[in-house]
Amino acid sequence: MKLEVKRIVKNFGGLQALKGVSFTIDSPQLVGLIGPNGAGKTTLTNIITGMLAPTSGEIWLNGERIDGMRPYAIARRGLGRTFQVTRAFRRLTVMENMLVPALARNPRADRHAMEQKAREILAFLTLDHLTNEYARSLSGGQQKLLELGRLLMLDPQIIILDEPFAGVHPRLQRTIYDYIRRVREAGKAIILISHDMESIFTLSERLMVLNFGELIADGPPDEVRRMPEVIDAYLGRDEEEETEHA
Amino acid sequence: MLTPTVWDASLFHASPQLAVSGEFVLRLIIDGLMIGIIYALMAIGLTLIFSVLNIVSFAHGEFYMLGGYIVYFFLQTFEALPPLLSIVAAAIVTFAVGFLFERIFLQPMARGEVERPNEYAILVTFGLAFFLQFLMLGLVGPFPKKAHRLFDLPQIEGTFFRTTKATLFLGDITISAGRLFAALIALLALAGLLWFMYRTWTGRALQAVSQDRNAAAVVGINPLNMNTLAFSMGAMLAGLAGAVLVTVYSWVPWVGVPASSKSFVIIVLGGMGSIPGSLLGGLIIGVVESLGTGLFPDPARAQAYRDVFGLVIFALVLLLRPTGLFGRKL
Repeated sequence: MKLEVKRIVKNFGGLQALKGVSFTIDSPQLVGLIGPNGAGKTTLTNIITGMLAPTSGEIWLNGERIDGMRPYAIARRGLGRTFQVTRAFRRLTVMENMLVPALARNPRADRHAMEQKAREILAFLTLDHLTNEYARSLSGGQQKLLELGRLLMLDPQIIILDEPFAGVHPRLQRTIYDYIRRVREAGKAIILISHDMESIFTLSERLMVLNFGELIADGPPDEVRRMPEVIDAYLGRDEEEETEHA
Repeated sequence: MLTPTVWDASLFHASPQLAVSGEFVLRLIIDGLMIGIIYALMAIGLTLIFSVLNIVSFAHGEFYMLGGYIVYFFLQTFEALPPLLSIVAAAIVTFAVGFLFERIFLQPMARGEVERPNEYAILVTFGLAFFLQFLMLGLVGPFPKKAHRLFDLPQIEGTFFRTTKATLFLGDITISAGRLFAALIALLALAGLLWFMYRTWTGRALQAVSQDRNAAAVVGINPLNMNTLAFSMGAMLAGLAGAVLVTVYSWVPWVGVPASSKSFVIIVLGGMGSIPGSLLGGLIIGVVESLGTGLFPDPARAQAYRDVFGLVIFALVLLLRPTGLFGRKL
């Protein structure tokens, strides 16, 4: 797998949301993406997944240029994502949510094999007892789990998770945490966008920091967290440390 | 000047001599349900288009008109062929016209190539409506046409019912063969549609796109293809409604205008974008109009007020439940 993001610029009228962002992911790894609100994280995600067109720049996936492609075409090439706000199909059942992406594209696919795969994923996500429930009857956290499970049905190589822990009960957060580790162990690359610093620093093998549309840091988390520009822009200083400096 | 059509005429005309009895009310209810099924068929087509494409098609009535003319000319031209094929032909042609129109005129909007998509959708569907109306006016002229009945009823003498070639008698209730077949074919079409939407994976994909377009796209469902499918199916449902009614009523090129208006009322009553809502809305409007017209104290004026009865219910529902009966998508 190889995702190359090259000099991505995005302008919204007079506002430049992304100012030439570049990075490459070329191996299974868990990449944390952090930055203050409005830094451009979701805009970057939307551009990578085809929901927004960049003003300039290029995106390549496994040697194929994908900027300008439609989101469904990018998803079919193995790049999946979840949304900050849960987007389960609320008036389909849990099982239908899991199966519709694969079976709608290929109605001749082996339904029993698909169902078996869906049941295994749902069991891991502790949703197996809700298979025939409508998604709308699930809690917000359960819907988030369902969205994560649905993503795995497509077997993507690279996954972008946008705030998977936001608004989720701590017990379910633990399930999501385990899910991310398991997906990573299965050899996928994950870009994890989160404001939950504990999870980011525990899970990430590499950390990128966006600030005002610029990638100001990209490296091992322990190095990135000590960078003065990252501390100034996002992480902040401890009060004691500030007092010492004063 | 508009010619009276099914949308402003009762399937059965209440006889002033007939006293208000249980049988009479039952007859009105059956009348209302039969026309309601056809109302619903057409309205579901409109709701499918609204739900998936997020546009209101102002050409919906013209697909209804087109369906009727196709059956009329098919029966005139191919007398030796089974008449049911005329209904199939109407379904295929209206589906194909809907498909081409969506691909050529609506896809640019869905692809974000149009600057003001909402206004564009209104203008381009109005444009299609006028085009089809005047095309048919040029081809067939303004004079009403009426297709002959598709089938004769088998002659049966039973205890509670009997039939002639053209009429079914259920006690004091009479139902013409044409109207009976119209309702039965509409019912079959509805059953087929519901099966497709709720039992096939393509139908579920349509539901998914209607519920969340972006979420459907990022799991690999192509929303542009779903747009085409929804518009073509919507056009076909309107075409089927016209196809079954051209044997019952006179047909003119502007016959779709009141039909289209009625569909708008039904989808708002049922809840914008809801298939069950449109189904129930169609049946409610059909029954309320039928009961209102049949039970109105002054039979001479009853027919003129036909649309009003449905609109009163519509206004009440909007006052009490502004989102309609099932105010949600698919």
